[in-house]
This record gives sequence, C-alpha cells and structure tokens, in this order.
Amino acid sequence: MYSDQHLRLSDAEREAVTDRLAEHFAAGRLDQAEFDDRVGRAMSAKTRADLSGLFADLPETGAPAVPEFSRGGGRTPAGGPRGPGSPIEFRLDAASGVPTYLQLVHQVEHALRLGYLKPGDQLPKVRDVVASLAINPNTVLKAYKELETKGLTAGRPGQGTFIQATLSQIALPELTVLRRSLSGWLTAADGAGLDEDGMVALFTSALRDFYERRRGSGNRRGAASGETEGVAS
Amino acid sequence: MNIIETSGLGKRYGRTWALRECSLAVPAGHVAALVGPNGAGKTTLLNLAVGLAAPTAGAVTVLGGRPPGSPAALDGVAFVAQDTPLYKNLPAADMLHLTRNLNRRFDQRYAETRLGELGIPLNRKAGRLSGGQQAQLALTLALARRPRLLVLDEPVAMLDPVARHDFMATVLMAAADDGVSVLLSSHVLAELERVADYLILLSRGRVQVAGEVDDLLASHRVLTGPAAEAGRYAEWPVVHVRRAEAQAHLLVRAAADDPVPPGWEAHPVGLEELALAYLREPGAAALPGPARGQALPLETGEPSQVTR
Repeated sequence: MYSDQHLRLSDAEREAVTDRLAEHFAAGRLDQAEFDDRVGRAMSAKTRADLSGLFADLPETGAPAVPEFSRGGGRTPAGGPRGPGSPIEFRLDAASGVPTYLQLVHQVEHALRLGYLKPGDQLPKVRDVVASLAINPNTVLKAYKELETKGLTAGRPGQGTFIQATLSQIALPELTVLRRSLSGWLTAADGAGLDEDGMVALFTSALRDFYERRRGSGNRRGAASGETEGVAS
Repeated sequence: MNIIETSGLGKRYGRTWALRECSLAVPAGHVAALVGPNGAGKTTLLNLAVGLAAPTAGAVTVLGGRPPGSPAALDGVAFVAQDTPLYKNLPAADMLHLTRNLNRRFDQRYAETRLGELGIPLNRKAGRLSGGQQAQLALTLALARRPRLLVLDEPVAMLDPVARHDFMATVLMAAADDGVSVLLSSHVLAELERVADYLILLSRGRVQVAGEVDDLLASHRVLTGPAAEAGRYAEWPVVHVRRAEAQAHLLVRAAADDPVPPGWEAHPVGLEELALAYLREPGAAALPGPARGQALPLETGEPSQVTR
C-alpha cells in the first residue's frame, strides 16, 4: 500500500491506528486479547512497515491505515473521515436475560465511556440494526428514545440519531496510555506471584483507599475530575 | 386502527371447535406473535383472518374494519402459508411474472433487488432452491405486493438457524421500512422476545393472553421464597407455581413497584418464561379489560406443577 514503508511513525499516526483498532474492537471484530495485542504492536511500531498485518484480516472502516495529515491535538476526533454510517455495531447476548432494548442502551453508554463514540457520531440506522440482528424495529426505537431521554443523543429528522453528549472524561489515546501503564502494573503483579483474584482485590482496595483519602481531604478533589456533586460526610 | 379485530369469533369443523369465543384487537404497527400448542387454533385463526375460511360464529375484520376476502382486504393482506407454497417447476423469474399478473399491485424492482441481495438466481426452478431460499422467495413475493398486513403461518419452523435469522430480518426490515404490520404464528418461543412486540397466546381454541409485550412483562413478576409460605401470599393473582421441598417460584401478576413479601425475592420475567407459564396453566388468562380467567386459588388448590 505504501512505498515509504521505511518512514518512521509519529505519535499521531500510532494513535490513529489505535483509534481504528478500537473501532474494530467496538464492532466486535477483535476480542479483548487481540485488541490489547494489536494496540501494543501499534504503540511499539517504529516504521510504517511495522504496522503491516495489523489490519490484514479486518474490513475497511473508512479511515486510511495511516492518516496523510497530522492531527491537531489529542482530543480531536479520530483520524480520517469516517465512511457513512456508525462507528459502532450492536451485538446481542440472548443468554444475558437483559431486555434487548437495554442491551442496546448499555452498549452505547459503554462505547461513550470508552471513547468509541463521540459527540456528532451517528448511531447505526434503525433499519441496519433490524437487518443485522433481526430484531423488532420498535425495540431499536425504544432504545434510541431512552438514550434521547437521558440526553445522550438527539434525533435529526430524515438523517438518523446522533451523539450529543459524552460519558468519557478523556479521549481514547489517553485511555490507551492509561491502559498501557496498567498493563505494566499487571505484569509486575504477575511477576510477584499475584493471581487474578488477588490483583482484583488489591486494585479494588487501592481504589477505595484513593477515594476515601480524597473525600477526607475535601478541597483537593476536583483537580482530576470535573464532578460537582457534594462531598459525602 | 386495528390491523385485525375479532369478536366472539369461532370456527367448528364437524363437531370440534377449532377456535371459540375469540375476541382480539391488535393495533396496527406491531409484529404480533401467535403462540400456542399444536391444535390450539393458530392456523384456523390465520385462515379466518386472510379469508381462506369462513367463521362459524362471530366476526373478523382486517385493516381497520374490512371483511377478509373483500377486494380491499385482498389487496392489503399478504399471506405465506405453512408449506411456503411455490410452483416447484417454475423458475423464480416466472414466479415473479405470475404473481405480478395475478395482483393489482406488484413491486417488480423490490422483488428483483431483494432476490439479488439474497443471491437467489432468477433462472433456477423454485423446487431446486434450498429450503431457506424457497422461504425467502415466497416471502419476497408476498412483500412485493406491498401489503399493509403480512400474515405468516409457522414461517421458520423448517429453517436452519441462519436461514431463520435472515428470513426474520427480511420481515422486520419490511416492518421498519414500510410500517407493515405482521401477524405470525410460531413455536420458537426463544426468538419471539426479539421479534414480537405483541403476544397472542391461544390454548384449546381460546385466547388466553393478548397484549403488548412490554405491558405483559411489566405486569408480571417471579417471586421466589420459602415453599411453606407459598400459599399465604396470594394477594396477587398467581399464574403458575413451581414448588420444591424448600423453595417455590410463583409467577404473579404484579407491577414492578408492588411491595414484595418479607423473605421473598422478586425478579422480572422474560417473554419465554411468561409464555411457558401460561401454556402450562390453560385456566389462567391475561387479557385486556376485565380478566376472564381465575387465578389459581393457592390456599385450597394443589399447585399443578410440583417439582421434587
């Protein structure tokens, strides 16, 4: 695809690749382990040639493999113009016992929280969801209405439903960086002999301590998060 | 507008009533599922709705008051019978030609486009298509007539899972694109939760449950608690009881914010569980308006389902 395979990559280009991998992950084409592995390879890639094979078994999503332009800041939308349609695709878990419309609502919220969906992005068209999942169109409408009631989306007549709010506090590239440092911690914990349950317990306990300490010192909170709710005492 | 409405509808074959005292009103814009055991009267009701059978008692209308079989009803109702009726020796193209010439309205472009999307060759004889393709061809012929009501009798019973999924996708896309109302009978309970938003449950020739799925699910709950107390909490109509030595599950008609007896847990109920419970209790009924059936008298009666 490129004759300049030896050219070295910029951070912006690595991030753009990560964004595309995230789209495939959100669409269910990659599982968690595959996603982590490929993001790791993308982040450690030095030249364009190192990126070859990352998308070999994935369909085009509309964005070029490596963006031809450099991105402004870390918070601009994902590189490259998106093709028509939505960055996410729904799946259903029949065994979960969760009503179908709620599964759709949860998946949109999850994608928002992880930054796969951003304000301005379009949700899959009702017809396309019906066609791919073979579900009742009223179920999709109900889910979209619920999202609209929550203030997360807005319908544009004749066009579809679009994201207008976000649940994620930070952009996908920063999330990726955080995920990487967490991976480093996990490796260290594993090396120290901690098993999965032990890691979960340690993390949960540290998390609780962190927020308790922050609650204790009242004023210092708000530096990292923009939440305005009152301090519980 | 009610897409189908019946009042006191009955059909007798010889001495046997296949359908009795059937009163229904399904609003337009729904995918309504007709569920019931074999011999419950599903096919009879569908045949009455499309005008292939005449009622012995009562009345049925479709498309907001039109008698089945009248020209207006024939124009607006499409029916695919249980055995996906096709002329097996005719190529798909000739089936289109035939259907176009037998109907006042036929969307040739829709039919050809849809068959193209499905990869069904127009020059192949209908009898040489796979089961899934034959079902899709019959469905496409029905939808190309641009009906306002699509009636399907056990449409997916013979299909493999992929063909079943694709068939229902075609049906539901017609509902999404053109607002076609659908009335379909089915045995496949597990799939109905995704597909249907209106449930009609027939049992022994009578309507046992009818209503919007959301309303039905919101008005039923499963209570789990000690079996010894199962009889004491009969403040709500109990539809179905499953009881073991220590523990009992009651399916009750109750809203989500009704109080739960102390020591009991309440869970929401799924459509499959709800339908199964009613199918096991032909005496219970959930109908719009005053309930006709009686709840199980727990104090006096034996639970009909005892698990040990």
